[in-house]
Amino acid sequence: MAKHPVNLKVNGDEHDLLIEPRKTLLAVLRDTIGLTGTKEGCSTGDCGACTVIVDGKAVTSCMVLGVTTSGKEITTIEGLASDGELHPIQQAFIDTGGYQCGFCTPGFIMASKALVDENPNRTEEEFRFALGGNICRCTGYTKILEAVIQAAEEIRTAS
Amino acid sequence: MSEYNVVGQKLPRVDAVEKVTGAAQYGADVHPAGMLYGKVVRSKQAHANILSIDTSEAEKLPGVRAIVTQEDVPSGSRIFATDKVLYLGEPIAAVAATDPDIAEEAAELIKIEYEVLPVVQDVMEAIKSDAPRLHGDATKDGPNRRDIITKIKQLSDNQEVDNNEEIRKLEAELEKYSDEIYYNISAETHNAAGDVEKGFAESDIVVEDTYVIPRVHQTYMEPHVSVASADSSGKVTVWASTQGPFAIRSGIAGRLGIPLTQINVIGTTMGGGFGGRFGVIITHVPAVLLSQKAGRPVRVQMTREEEFLDGRPAPGCVIKLKTGATKDGHILARQALAFWDSGSVSGASIGSTIRVRGVYKIPNIRIDAYGVHTNKSGTAAYRAPGAPQAIFAGESQLDEIAEKIGMDPVKFRLMNMREEGDAVPAGGSEPKVGYKETLEAVADAAGWWNRDADENQGWGVAVGDWTNGCGPGGVYVSVHEDGSARIFHGSMDITGTDTAITQIIAEILTIPYKNVTIRRGDTDSAPYSTGSGGSVVTFTMGNTAKLAAEDARNRILELASERLNTNADNLELREGAVHTITADPPKSITLGELAAFSLSTTGGPIVGKGSFARKPSTPALAAQIAKVEVDPDTGRTRVLKLVASQDVGFAINPMAVEGQIEGGVVQGYAWAMMEEMQYGENGNINPGFVDYRVPTSADLPTVESVIVEVPAPNGPYGAKGVGEPPITPTLATMANAVRDAVGIRITELPIKPEKVVEALKNNGHKA
Repeated sequence: MAKHPVNLKVNGDEHDLLIEPRKTLLAVLRDTIGLTGTKEGCSTGDCGACTVIVDGKAVTSCMVLGVTTSGKEITTIEGLASDGELHPIQQAFIDTGGYQCGFCTPGFIMASKALVDENPNRTEEEFRFALGGNICRCTGYTKILEAVIQAAEEIRTAS
Repeated sequence: MSEYNVVGQKLPRVDAVEKVTGAAQYGADVHPAGMLYGKVVRSKQAHANILSIDTSEAEKLPGVRAIVTQEDVPSGSRIFATDKVLYLGEPIAAVAATDPDIAEEAAELIKIEYEVLPVVQDVMEAIKSDAPRLHGDATKDGPNRRDIITKIKQLSDNQEVDNNEEIRKLEAELEKYSDEIYYNISAETHNAAGDVEKGFAESDIVVEDTYVIPRVHQTYMEPHVSVASADSSGKVTVWASTQGPFAIRSGIAGRLGIPLTQINVIGTTMGGGFGGRFGVIITHVPAVLLSQKAGRPVRVQMTREEEFLDGRPAPGCVIKLKTGATKDGHILARQALAFWDSGSVSGASIGSTIRVRGVYKIPNIRIDAYGVHTNKSGTAAYRAPGAPQAIFAGESQLDEIAEKIGMDPVKFRLMNMREEGDAVPAGGSEPKVGYKETLEAVADAAGWWNRDADENQGWGVAVGDWTNGCGPGGVYVSVHEDGSARIFHGSMDITGTDTAITQIIAEILTIPYKNVTIRRGDTDSAPYSTGSGGSVVTFTMGNTAKLAAEDARNRILELASERLNTNADNLELREGAVHTITADPPKSITLGELAAFSLSTTGGPIVGKGSFARKPSTPALAAQIAKVEVDPDTGRTRVLKLVASQDVGFAINPMAVEGQIEGGVVQGYAWAMMEEMQYGENGNINPGFVDYRVPTSADLPTVESVIVEVPAPNGPYGAKGVGEPPITPTLATMANAVRDAVGIRITELPIKPEKVVEALKNNGHKA
C-alpha cells in the first residue's frame, strides 16, 4: 500500500514518517515510533486504553488515522513526566493506589489530564461521568476517582 | 502502634513508576528484531463439519511468511479444528506476515467450506435426547435415576432373598424418570451429607427455585498475547502474558513434544487475569508453531472480539435449589441440582456447586452437578471459580426464607453461621474464622441497624466465602554491600503481590522498604513458582519470602558473630544493623559492612533461600451490603451505597487489599446487573464493549471497604489470600437489594431494566 509523508509532533519531538493511510494513530505511535506506553484494549474506541491528547483534546488513538494527525501536537503517557518529575496526576495514581494491573492506567491518566487541564474545578460526580469512556477492570474505580480528585485539587492550589 | 514497621503499612507499590509512565512492558510491547505478526483463522460457524481448507490464495499474498494448520502439529495434540468445528471462533489455522494488516487479509483469504450442523447453546436444551451432540451419544443419569439404580443394584447383589418383584417395581419407577437421562454431559459430581429428605420433612418452611447465571467474560483489559521465537537449534523462547509462566512452559512442552529445558517462558507484565490467563493454546502454541515454520519471531495478539469468541470465560449455569428451615430460623436441609455450561470441552467449575452450603450449619445437604457441552468455547476460572454462581443461588434463597419466617436477614445469617470447633463436612473442625465479625462489621459500617429507605429503595445483604489456594514457590534474597537487598523469584505479580513480598523481606531484614528491590526471572532462571491464581500468591510467596529472609538473617547473625566476636544468641538485628545485646561497650555492624566483610573474606555473597510447598489455609469471608433505588417505570437500578467487609487475616498492604475488595465487588456488581455473553442462532452475538457492557466509573458510587483481621494460623503475619472472596457475595447482595426495594425476586441474571419492568408488571405494577 502506498505510503504518505507525515510530520508528527509527539511529546515535543518531530517525526517525519512515511505511513500507510490505513494505519491508526495508535499503530503509528506503537509500531512506527516505538512508544508502547499507549495501550490497545479493544481497537473499537470503547475502552479508552489508547487515549492520548491531540491538540489539547483526549482522543482514542485507535479511532484516528495517523495521516490525519500530521502537524498536530500529540502528547502520550511518555511525555507527561518532565525532568524526572512525575506529573501530579501520575503521582496521585501512585499515592492513592489508583491502578492495579496498570494496562488501562496510561489511558486513564491521559483522559484525566485533558479533563483537569480543561477545568480542574469539576466535582467528584462530574469527574465520575467525564471518565465514563475509560474502562478499568481491576480497581472498581474508587481509587481512580480519589487520584483524579487529589490531582485536580493539587493543580488548583498550584495555579 | 503496630508491632511491625513495614508490613501492615499503606506503601506505594514497587512497580509504581513504571505503571504510571507507560514504561511497564506488557506482552504486545515486546518486539524482537524481524518479528512477524500472527493471526488465527477462526470458524465462522458454531457447529459444522469442515469439508475443505484451502490456503493457496493466502500463500500468494505478498508478505505472508507462514501458514499453519493441524498438519503442522507433529505431536497430534489438537490445536486446530480439522474435520469439525464446535463453536464460532474455533481456531482452524494461523498465518504470520510482515504486517498485521497483511496477516488479517491473509486470514480472510483462507477458504473454508462447511457443512452446517444444528447448534445447541442452552444447557437445559443440550441435556435432552433430541439435542445435537457434540461428543457422541453417551448419557448420564439424574438424581432420582441414580437413587433408583443404586437401590436396584443393592437388591440384585443380595442373592439370599427373592426381591425380583421389588426390582421390577423400581424398574417401572425408573421409566418415569426418562427425562433424567442427560445427554452432552462433560462431567458430573455428587456430594451428600445427612439425609435431605428427612431434613425437608422436618422443616416448617421449604423454598425451591431455579437460578440462572450467565456466562461472563473476565474482561482483563489486555487481550491475550504472546511472542514466540524458535531458533534453529530448537530452543523456543516465549514472551507470554500469563498468570503462570511455568504452567505455560509445561503446557507447550506437553502439547508440542518439546523438552522442558528447550522452552523458556518470559512472563510479561500482566494486564489483568482474574483466572482467565492460564490457557496455553489460546495464543502461545499458535505463536510457537508459526515461529517454528517461519524461522522468525512471531507475535499473536487477540483482538477484543476474538477474546469474546475464543477466550475462556466463566461458565454460566442453572441451579435448582431447595432449602428447608424451621420457623424459628434453623436451616435443616439444602439440595441442589446444577447444570454448568462447559462449552465444547469439559472443565467448568461444577465442583463449586457445593458452595451453596455457604458458611452455615446445614446438617443435611445433597448436591448433584453436571457439566454440559454446548456449542461455545471452553471455560476457565474467573475469580473464585464457581463460587459467585453457587453463592448467588444460596444467598438469594436464604433471604426468601428469612422473609417467610419474618427474621432480619443479617440476624438470620448470624444465627446459622458455623463457629470455631464445629464439624466440617470435609472432615476435621471449623478453624477460627471471622464469619460473624465480618458480617457484623459490614452491618455496622453500612448503618444496617438503623436503615431507612424511601419509596422504591431497598437494602440487600449477602456473604460469600473462599479459601485461598497454595502451591510451591521459591525465593532468593541477596544482601549487598550498600545495605540493600534484592529479591529474585518466578511468580507473576498479580496487582500488588510483588509489593507484599518486598514488604515482608524489608520487615525481617529491618531495612527500609525502598532499599529492597524485586526481580522476576524467566522459567530458565527463576525457581519454580506456582501460577498467580486462586489467591495463592501472598499466602505462598509470602511464606516463601519469610523463609528466605529468615535464612538470610541467620547467615547475617552467623557472620556478625564472627566479626563482633560474640555468640550469635547475643546478637539482634534491628534497623539494618546487628547489635550486641549485652556487650559493654555495645558493638554493632551494619548489613552493608557485613556484606562487604563477607565478600572480602570467606563468606561470599549473603544469600537467603526460601522454598515452600503448602500449609493448610483458612477460609475467608466477604460480607456486603447494598442500598439501591429502583425506578419502577424504567426498571433501572441505581446503587446508592455499597459497603464491603472482608476477613483478610492480616492486611500486609491495606491500600492494595482495599483495591482488591473494591475491584472484586464491582466485578460482582457487573455480573449481577449488566454482563452476559449472549448467543444467537450461530454463536456469540455480543463480542465487543458496546454490546457486552462492563461498568465504568459512571455506573457506580464509591465502594466502601472494611478490613477485618482474624489471623490465619499459617498465613504470613496471619494473611489470607484476598483477591477472590470479594466477588462471591455481590450477585446475591444486588438481587436481595432489588427484592427489598420493589418486592420482586429476580432469579435469572443479569438484573437488566427490562427484566425488572417485566417482573413488576407481573406483580401488578402499572407503568
